[in-house]
Amino acid sequence: MGLILAAVGFGVITASILALAGVGFTLQFGVTNVLNLAFGSTMTAAAFVAYVVSQSAPLVVAVAAGGAFGAVFSVLVNRFVFMPFIHRGTRLFGMIIVTLSMGLVVQYSLQAIFGASFFSLPDIGGPTFHLGSFAITGPQVGILGLGLVAMACVHVLLRYTTLGKAMRATATNSDLARSCGIATDRVIDVAWAISGCLCGLAGVALALDVTAFTDTTGGDFLIPIIAVAVLGGVGQPYGAMLGALVVGVASEVAAAVISPDYKDAVAFVILILVLLVRPQGILAEVSGAKEVAS
Amino acid sequence: MTAEVAAAPCACAGAVLGIHGVARSFGGVEAVKGASFRVERGRITGLIGPNGAGKSTLLNLVAGALLPTRGTIHFEGRDITHLPDYRRARLGLIRTFQTSSEFGRLTVMENLLVAAPRLRGERLREALLGRGYWGGAEAQAVDRARNLLGEFDMAEKEDEYAGNLSGGQKRLLEIMRGLMAEPTVLLLDEPMAGVNPTLARRIEAYLLQLRDRGLTMLMVEHELGVVERICHPVVVMTLGRVLREGAMAEIRRDPEVLDAYLIG
Amino acid sequence: MSGAWQFYISTLLIYLGVDVMACWGLNLQFGYAGLVNFSFIIFQAAGAYTAAVLTLGRPTPADFQTYVGGAHWPFPLPFLAAAVAGALLAAGVGAIGLRRLRADYEAMVMLVVSLIATSVVTNATGLVNGANGLDLVPPPLLGVVHLGPLAYQWFYVGLTAALCLLVYLVVHRITGSPLGRSLRAMRENEPAAAALGRNVTQLRLAAFVVGGAIAGLSGAVLVQFLSAWSPGAWLYPETFVYFTAVIVGGSGNNLGAAVGALLVPVAFLEAVRFLPPFGPPGLIDAIQWIVIGLLAMVFLWFWPRGIVPERRRRFPRRIPSRSAADGPAR
Repeated sequence: MGLILAAVGFGVITASILALAGVGFTLQFGVTNVLNLAFGSTMTAAAFVAYVVSQSAPLVVAVAAGGAFGAVFSVLVNRFVFMPFIHRGTRLFGMIIVTLSMGLVVQYSLQAIFGASFFSLPDIGGPTFHLGSFAITGPQVGILGLGLVAMACVHVLLRYTTLGKAMRATATNSDLARSCGIATDRVIDVAWAISGCLCGLAGVALALDVTAFTDTTGGDFLIPIIAVAVLGGVGQPYGAMLGALVVGVASEVAAAVISPDYKDAVAFVILILVLLVRPQGILAEVSGAKEVAS
Repeated sequence: MTAEVAAAPCACAGAVLGIHGVARSFGGVEAVKGASFRVERGRITGLIGPNGAGKSTLLNLVAGALLPTRGTIHFEGRDITHLPDYRRARLGLIRTFQTSSEFGRLTVMENLLVAAPRLRGERLREALLGRGYWGGAEAQAVDRARNLLGEFDMAEKEDEYAGNLSGGQKRLLEIMRGLMAEPTVLLLDEPMAGVNPTLARRIEAYLLQLRDRGLTMLMVEHELGVVERICHPVVVMTLGRVLREGAMAEIRRDPEVLDAYLIG
Repeated sequence: MSGAWQFYISTLLIYLGVDVMACWGLNLQFGYAGLVNFSFIIFQAAGAYTAAVLTLGRPTPADFQTYVGGAHWPFPLPFLAAAVAGALLAAGVGAIGLRRLRADYEAMVMLVVSLIATSVVTNATGLVNGANGLDLVPPPLLGVVHLGPLAYQWFYVGLTAALCLLVYLVVHRITGSPLGRSLRAMRENEPAAAALGRNVTQLRLAAFVVGGAIAGLSGAVLVQFLSAWSPGAWLYPETFVYFTAVIVGGSGNNLGAAVGALLVPVAFLEAVRFLPPFGPPGLIDAIQWIVIGLLAMVFLWFWPRGIVPERRRRFPRRIPSRSAADGPAR
């Protein structure tokens, strides 16, 4: 029983990383309709940026640098690679290949620069908290806090700001949003900046959590991210938050109860179940209503 | 609505297509709320109504692109409510699309051949037997397609990629492809949307010719002038329900219909 | 030609044969049917493992590798079984993954299938020896043909070529038939194909299963030549190499796919292995992948139809008339 409780605790921490990544991933899709398979590699790149910065600056600065890098890099890639391809009329199949190519280019550029070895962000140490049988380290508290703060910010942004409303409008129907006077190009830039920032933070958080990371760390994390996005309904940030909690806790509990080797298998099983039962994701009612409008 | 639903399930006798209390909701919003009407053989039945009345959704329900949440659809006396779209097409219930749906990187001829029903070489086993097995049947289909192209004055476009056709030519291809599928009933979703008046007149004339040869059609159309000229009877939908059925001349004078259009 | 050169050339030819077969399989799925199968490589892997296990014999307790099953099937059977394994796996994955999803969801699901397959095979060490993979797979017909190493290389080139021809006949018959036309129609507009009576679920599954069988066969040819096979040989980016090949060569054209197989996996990845190494270990590898990724993007930008684009199909007129000058059939 204690084991399971501890697993749930770790699950919540994994869920924080997944929520950062999953909300970022799903926002990119929702606002621009691009399923960005370079997402995992961008996370890794942000972790490497944080690593380089952490050599000469405190970890907090490194984390911020990772987030900032994710934002800037995502905006640039979208503006100068993905959008030009879309405007040129590249079809859906083509775009998937473009994003995956981009992911490979980023991942192997990192390998070419840093080499295929393991890297660690400095251990901030800090106190270890005990909650019954469950011990939580300083970095883990940090990850949890980062996740909660970021999700609160996303919530405020989407619910209470004009920008957030413009983003939701663009996600629902970009042509309509444009005809309502919303500058969709700017909204798309901002959406990529925000989702890219979440992506960068997720990359740094993941690097902190796994203690040693390589050029493939982010890419390997793509399965649970996709599971989170699909479970939440692709393009649905709140769904992704809920999905992150489910996938995070379920995979850690499975790891504790069955075997750590099968952590990813849980994400896979969830993905398969969603595809079999409800391909639209659990919060698909909203997008179903869109069908009527169109 | 209650009176409509109460109609006997086999009220379709005589009618080729019977729609009974069909409803469809999307995430709690009911776009079609129990529509019932019949399509008589050899006529062009018009389906009109203000924007958002549920006409296109209803057409999708009849074609099987969407499945109804309740109600039944009968086609030639057979309950097809739960049949998937491709099975309905194979029975002879063929639809066209409102927006051009050509196979862009197939030639016009290939677009037509895809529609040819029961063509040899469509199955994996038959395909592996080679041209000797299916070549003859295909040549016949090619001849049929050429006749159709001739009728529609599109013969010289045979080898053109469908994606390179003009908007109007794409509309014609859409109709030809439907005819190539040997329909019993052709469901037309705004066949003249976005074409110039001259071509619209031509399409109108083609549709009348087809009707005179005995083809049954159900047509969603915005342009009431066209509807008045070629559709009889006309079904008026509003807010997901059937409001009126009858001749266009009567419907034009109906105050409720006018209200629906003005408020709609 | 010296022996070393002959080894080099024959090895490249065998790789070429494997890659051409795989590209034809993928082209059927992607170029014709429009299926973005990012798990293509697992079907090659399934064929490779099947052929390996069916030639290695039963594992003994003293063996350095553990695996399920094991038999000494004679020559053509392991190849056949590999194709069947690829087809069966494709049928299973297809039944779940090809549910009329949007192309990008489908690609995502297939990518995940590939990642998971790697994870399962690596972690379930009893299945096919986990991360270390299988080794010492005996080459086919070695005891029958009695050839020296070099002659055997050329013998294997011939075997590969024969299998390529077989695959070509199958693929060519499908792509040139009404079935192939329906596959392309589905690629262009799935709802319209369904509305004209085409059973798109069945069409997708057909392309998926035939492609899977071809991938399985290519895996068998590869493993019987390499004599070893492990998860490192079929990571998901390998699928991407085949995608790049098909795009560069020309998707929707079998000649194009073969040209792509020659240019991308063979010239680019295999030939470089014989170059003198430079830089730290892994650098050449990384640069290759970067170039492959850029190559895919450059082609999608400048030549999205590839070097040998899809052909326009014309139909002959039976009674020669004003346009008797029309091109030949097909």
